[in-house]
Formats: sequence, C-alpha cells, structure tokens
Amino acid sequence: MTAAEVGQPTGQASARSRTAGAGLAGLRLARLHAASRRVLTCVLVLAACAVALRTALHWLPRTGVYARQIPLTIEAGAAAVIGVTTRSPFGEPERATGRWLPWLRLAGCVTLTGIAVGALAAAAAATHLAGGAAGLARDLAGFTGIALLTAAVLGGALAWTGPMAYLAVTLPALTGNWTTPWIWPARPPPDRGAAICAALVFAAGVAVITVRGARDRSCE
Amino acid sequence: MTAATAPAATPRAWRVPRPAGPARLLRIELRRSPMLWMLPLLAALFWLSAYRTAMNNPPFWTIRAATLQANAMLAFAPLLAGVCAWAGSRDGRRGLVDLVSVTAAPRWAAQLATWAAATIWAEALYLAGVAVLYEVTAHQGAWGGPLWWPVAVGVAMIAASCALGFAAGLLLASRFTAPLAALVAFLALAGGAFALQDNVRYAQIWPLSVQGPFPTDSYGIFYPYLPDLAIAQVMFLAGLAAAALGAIGLPAAAGGRWLRGTAAAVTVAGLAAAGTAVGLAGTARVTAHGIVIPALHDAASDRPTPYTPVCGRGPIRVCLHPAYRAYLPAVTAALGPVLGQLAGLPGAPVRVTQVAVTSVQSARDNGIGFGGPVISGRPPVLHLPLSGLTLPGEGNMSAAQFTSSLRQQYGPLIVNDLVGLPSGAAVGIGVTSVNAAPGARGAAQVAVARALDQIMDLTQVGGGSPARSGAGGSADSGVPPRALQVAAASHRFSALPAAVRHAWLLTHLTALRAGRVTLSEIP
Amino acid sequence: MNVEIAGVTRRFGRTQAVAGVDLEAGPGVLGLLGPNGAGKTSLLRMLATVIPPSSGRLRLLGRDPRGYGPRREIRRRLGYLPQHLGYYPGFTVAEFVEYFALLKEMPPGQVPGAVAAAIERTGLGGQARAKLRTLSGGMLRRAGIAQAVVNDPNLLLLDEPTAGLDPEQRVAFRALLRDLGQRATVIVSTHLVEDVGAACGQVALMDAGRIVFHGTPAELTARADGTDAAGDAPLERGYSAVLAAARNGAGARS
Repeated sequence: MTAAEVGQPTGQASARSRTAGAGLAGLRLARLHAASRRVLTCVLVLAACAVALRTALHWLPRTGVYARQIPLTIEAGAAAVIGVTTRSPFGEPERATGRWLPWLRLAGCVTLTGIAVGALAAAAAATHLAGGAAGLARDLAGFTGIALLTAAVLGGALAWTGPMAYLAVTLPALTGNWTTPWIWPARPPPDRGAAICAALVFAAGVAVITVRGARDRSCE
Repeated sequence: MTAATAPAATPRAWRVPRPAGPARLLRIELRRSPMLWMLPLLAALFWLSAYRTAMNNPPFWTIRAATLQANAMLAFAPLLAGVCAWAGSRDGRRGLVDLVSVTAAPRWAAQLATWAAATIWAEALYLAGVAVLYEVTAHQGAWGGPLWWPVAVGVAMIAASCALGFAAGLLLASRFTAPLAALVAFLALAGGAFALQDNVRYAQIWPLSVQGPFPTDSYGIFYPYLPDLAIAQVMFLAGLAAAALGAIGLPAAAGGRWLRGTAAAVTVAGLAAAGTAVGLAGTARVTAHGIVIPALHDAASDRPTPYTPVCGRGPIRVCLHPAYRAYLPAVTAALGPVLGQLAGLPGAPVRVTQVAVTSVQSARDNGIGFGGPVISGRPPVLHLPLSGLTLPGEGNMSAAQFTSSLRQQYGPLIVNDLVGLPSGAAVGIGVTSVNAAPGARGAAQVAVARALDQIMDLTQVGGGSPARSGAGGSADSGVPPRALQVAAASHRFSALPAAVRHAWLLTHLTALRAGRVTLSEIP
Repeated sequence: MNVEIAGVTRRFGRTQAVAGVDLEAGPGVLGLLGPNGAGKTSLLRMLATVIPPSSGRLRLLGRDPRGYGPRREIRRRLGYLPQHLGYYPGFTVAEFVEYFALLKEMPPGQVPGAVAAAIERTGLGGQARAKLRTLSGGMLRRAGIAQAVVNDPNLLLLDEPTAGLDPEQRVAFRALLRDLGQRATVIVSTHLVEDVGAACGQVALMDAGRIVFHGTPAELTARADGTDAAGDAPLERGYSAVLAAARNGAGARS
C-alpha cells in the first residue's frame, strides 16, 4: 500500500468512488481539450453567426438569389470556424498519448456541428429561410465535412479554405441550374441525392478527423 | 561552427543609413508568401466562376468584362482576405513578435513587404486570367475592343481585399481571424449586391455593380463605355486599401514619428478618397446610355460610336450592329416571316434596324426600365433593341430557341401595333407607334389580331396584352357572348385564303386602326 | 562602456521582475546567471529594447534607447537571441538569416557575404538551403544564433543560446563567444555554469530581480570557500554560496 492509498475506502465504496473519480477526470479532460481547441470562442462565434443570420433574414426578401446566398454564406462561415478548432497546439506530444484523443476529437466536431445547426436553426425559426431547418442542417453538415477533410489535408489552421472555396463555387451554381448532387446547396431540400452526398462528406470528415486528427506540425 | 572564419570587418559607423534592401526583402517574401500555395485553388475558382460563366455567354467584350468584375471578384476577394489575414498574423502565430520588433527597419516597411508579396501573386494570377479570357474573346471575333476599366476595378478590389485582410490578421493573431475575414468579405459582397438590387442610393459604388441596371451587352456598343462608375469604384477600393495599410503603420512599434505621421496621412487620405467616391456614387444618374457621374463625366462619351451596320438580304431588310452580326440569320428568321406576311399593308414596317437600348425612369416605382421596339418613320421602320435579350449561346439558349422566342415576343407586338391595339401596360413590353389609336380597344381589332397571331403561329408571352385577355373561352365556361363573337370572327378571318385576307386588310386596315370596323364587317 | 544600467526596474502588473539593477559592461563576455524567475530574461529584453524599463536609467552603445532615432541606431548594432525562438517554417536557413540581416538595415551589398559567414560560423553551411521545418532543435538554435551575429553586432544578447546543442557544438559556440567578445559586449543568460566558466570574463548573478554578485568566474568560485554550498563543480558551489548568502541576508533584513 502506498501513501496515496492510505485512508481509501475498500470494496464497493471504493469501486463507486473510483467510477466517480474517473467520471470527474473524464469531464476535466474534456474541458481541457475543449480549452486547448478554443471551443468556447468557437461557440461565441457561432452565436454571432446566428445573430447575423437572424438579422439577414429580417432584411432579405422571401425569394430571389440573395435569400439563398446570404444564409448559405453564414453557414459556410460557421463550418469554417468549426474546422479551425481541430488545430492542436501541442503537436506530437499529444498524439503520443492513450486512447482518449480520438473520442475527444469525435465529440468535439460532432458537438460543435450540433451547436451550429441548433443555433442557426433557432435563429431562422419563424422566418422565411429558404430550405428550412432541414436544408440548413444538410448544407451545414456538408460544409463542416469539407472543413474537416481540409483540416486533415492542409492542417487545422487552414481548414477554412475548403468551405470557403466550395462556397465560391456554389454561389454561381445557385443561379446556374446545376443539377449535380455534389453541389448540394443548389438542390432543393427534398433532394435525396444531395442529402446523401452532404451526409457522406460529413461522415468522411468526421471519420478522418477522429482517426487521424488535423494535419498539424509541432512547429504550428 | 568555427571562430576562425570571421567575415571581413563591417564598418562600425554607417554614417549614411541606406534603406534595408526593400527589393531583397520583397524577393524573400515573394518566394515564401502563402499566396503562392493558394494560386492553384484561385486558378480553379477563376475557371469555374468567371471563365466558364463567360464562355457560356456570347462573345461581347462587355459581357466578358462584367463577368470578370462580378463573378471573379465574388470568388477571389473572400479567399484573398482570409489568406492575407493568415499572412498578417504570421509573426504572432510564430512567436516572432519580439524578435522582429527589435530590428532596425521600421515594422511598417517589413509588414508592407509581406502584404505586397501576397497581393502581387494574387494580381498576377488575376491578370493572367484576364489575359486568357480576353484573348479567347478576341479570337471569337468580338466586335470592338476589350474594356479595361472593369479590369482596373478587379485589380483595385484585390488590393483592397488583401489590405483589409492583412490588417485584420495583424490586429488579431488568432486561428479564427482568417475564416472570419473570409466570411465578412463574402457577406460584405453579397450584402452590397443585395443593396444594389434594392436600388439603395449609394450602393452603385459596390464593386460588383458594372453599369447598374443596364443589361451587360447594352453598353460600350452603340455608345462608348462610360467609365464614370468604374472610376468611382477604383477610387473607393484604393481608398479602402490605403486606409487599411496606413492604419497598420500607426502603432508606436511601427516606426518613428515621421513614418507614423506618414501612415496617419495615408490613412486619412484613404478614408477621404473612399468617402468621396461614395459621395460621387450618390450623384450617379441613369442616362439613356449608361450611368453618369457628373463630376467624372467626359462629354465626348455621349457621342455615338460610328459603325457600319450589317444587313441581311431577305425581302424584309434586317440591319444589325456589327457586334450582333452573328445573330443576323436568327433575327431575320424570327421577324422576316412576320413582316413578310404583313408586307405592303399600310403601317407595316418595311425594314428592321437595331438600335441602342435606352433607359426609362419608371414613375410607378422609381425604378429603371428599358425601352422596347419602336415603329416609326415614313415608310415605317421597326427600331429594335436586342440588348437584354437572352442571346444564342447564353446559357442553354440555341439559335432556334432564340428565333422562336424573338418571334413570340415581338411578333404579337408588331401585330398589335398594326391593327391599332394599345401597347402593354408595363414599361418596355409594348410597341409605341405612330399607328396606335390612343385608347382604342375595338373587338374587331382584337379579332383580327388574334387571327393574324394564329396564322403566324404567334402565342402571347405572359398571357397576352390586356386587350386580348378574355377573348377566348367557350359557351360552357360562362364566357360573355361578346367574347364568343370575337372568337368566331377571328376564326372566320383566319380561315380566309391568304390573298383574300391580305386584300381585305389593304382596304380596311386604316379604318380598323381607327376603330371604325365592327365584328360583323370582318369577312 | 556599451551597457550602462543604473537603478533599472521592471514591473509586470504586481510582479516586480527586475528590482533595481546597476550594471556596466564593456567589450567582453558577461555571463548572467540566476535561478528561474530571477529576472534574467526581463533584463535581457530591456537590453534588447523589446520592453522599456519601468524606472531607472539605461544607456546602450552610448545612446538612450527611449528616443526612436537612437533606438534605431542601437538596433542596427544589436544581435538578440530570445529564449523561445520562433521561426517561419517555410523559410530556408539562408533566407531566415538574410531576412533578419535586411531588417537590421545592413548595407545590401554586404548582406550575402555576411549571411554566408554567419551560417558558416554556426556550422550550418551544409543546411543553408534546408527549410527550417526540417531542422532539429539544436540546428534551429544555431540558425537563431546565426541571425543574431549576422550583422557583427556591438551588443550581442543571448538567452539560453546553447539549449539543444550537442557538446561538440557547445565547445565551438564558446569559442565563437570569446571571439565575438574581443570586439563586442556579449551578454549570455544561461543556466549552464560550465558555459560561463569557459567563455565569460565576467559573471553577474541575479536573484529576485537584483544582481547579488558581479565579478569574475574565479571570484565566484572563491565565494564557496569555507562554506558547505551544494554543487558538483567549483563554480556551482560558488553559485550556491552566493545565492544562499543573498537569501539569508534578505531574510535577515525582513
């Protein structure tokens, strides 16, 4: 018995206290991981995006190309911000640890995506957002998937380039009658093919980030 | 590492401090600029957003230039702002702020070199894209010459986007700065374009506005391209760039008092230029041939550009501006048969001549509309503006579709005018003519017009003129008897042999236009 | 004298990092020793004109760094290697050194030769065209030293310069210091007393923001005589003895 174990309860009480301790440790780990990724700042930025969306929808007409373009731009911005939170400030020392890191990455990107969808959907509630909440969720998930894949290739700090470049391609497609489901924002919300493509991209991005993480060098 | 290999002694007192090799500094920055890595992505975006869109439109210099100014900038500017924000935050991200701050060269100078390197690469790519697009356009035989003012607006836009993004990155070296800079740039562009659409007064300054509400193939053809708005836009964007770059020279660490004073002067000058440009845009007015800003306007631009029209050789002579010569067969095929059917009738146009589109201020909503076809002169000539129409090659429009569309759009208007029916209520969709009897809406006119439409296979676009509405129907649907009589007369008239019909029109058309012919008098 | 410090203090919020330092240094190598948090880095940053003193008088190379013009003159003749060296990963070694040579406003015609010489002096001649991101930690440190010496400075400030260097490189670095110290004032902040003993003609020991010893390495070693100070080497024992005396004296005063 070590000094640390002196005074520790035994038996079932010990198991319960160990479980509680592990739970607390897990929460603390998640909190520290979130702090290292600037998750709180990301959430604040997502809230700002929601406010911007609400404001835009107040001024935008119900129909027309801008009724589509401006909300889509805000969704892409939200996805870009989620993408840059994948950047690790630690580099290799963090990778050379135990089994929790992939779960933390998974929880991080899925939770932030959920927060983004929820915040933007709440902002668009009772407004004339083209495509509604379903279209918003589809588009935002697809953008986020692109951001995560870009993070895996170029690094977390440059993850924003993917969704922004995709947005630059999508905006003319909104008026150009493109039919490919890979430009899902140009497709109506009930379009199953577009939904599948967006979901696939999101799933791929989440999977890659969970397993490999963002491509970050220790010098970053 | 050896102590013996010491260099030749550097002079201790450098009495005349020379500039810190700005060219060498710039060379290093050019080699290592992050913009270099973005070039393939930017080139791909240029191809997708600007080049492809331009190639999907007819080869007019104006259309190509407008695509450059609008589409390319919408794709470029946000990414450039983000990349430059990334470049601006370099020292903060790399932990080099202390080390670079203790060097002798003014920080402002070093920072400007970093910005300049990124901007030079972006401008080089943009200009290369312009060169390719313009070369292809010239090869496609576009009439006239390339428009350079829209290109200048693009160049200024790139400089401004890079400067504003760079300043944002310097101000806040955070991982969120670059994406937020790109997002704000996107929103600013889209918001400005929306304000343009809403006819907000000063919104014309926004760089996505090429000539305001004018169709992109309407300017620079019959009259010189009016650069007034483009000049104001360049001034605005250059002012923004100067203000942003001057602002980064204001902090104490940026340099000495003189340098910071210069930076302050540059900032103030930039803001003044931008504000002046906005004010000038507020004085812009839509004239017959473009947007004029009085303080910047050159009266020489108001004189029409001389040209020799190209004409077809059919029975009805169709003459177009040489810029539209590729569409002469289609226009002839569209309007020739219509006019051929009406040839010889009093008031029927004997010739078609293309004219410039003109703007008309709509009193109803203070918006801008564009004048439509006009029949005037003795003998009557159809003066036809083609600008604003979807031309063959634009999107999915084929020559056959254009011909059909032109015939369907203008054929009924010509017939309406011939028989004396009034023009459409909305500005721009009717034919104003010396032939029209003011307020005349006789049932006989409607019947004859319907018959002629039917014979020439003309269907009304958008439900037809107000004079024609309700003229159809059947006994079962409770249609008024008068409408049934009109339909019957129309059917009778269309069933006549062509020679008989033509002979009747020759003798009765003038009276029909005057409203003196009744339904029962129609054979 | 290239460095003249009188009553200099530096405060960060409520923390007094430098609590009144008097120091003069001419050509030669001055080692700056002290425990963690003694104020060495803060003092070095003031000498490098990164931060101004909160109070006191500071003259560098005969100039007052408070004025922009004199500060610029000082910076042209200054070499500085901070404790935590940042770098641009995409730059090559040569570009990195050239970049700082240009920022130090070296005459452009002299830059290529000075860059080559600095790279050779730090033993990086074979890596001149290598990207910084490919270098080991020790090589990066040497690249940092190269940018500090490229302009043959009159005042060279090095904070933990030998961190990451292998023993052979540390020996060569000490020789470089001795050579530079013949013409310039070199101030080296380090925890490695053997570096001080091998290269420094003068030693200053800081503790709690003050200089508690200033003399030669031999004098520092002699301070351990008659004491049971801890340490594996004479200089270490002298170091411990001086610190203990300073803290005891400070404890007695309080």
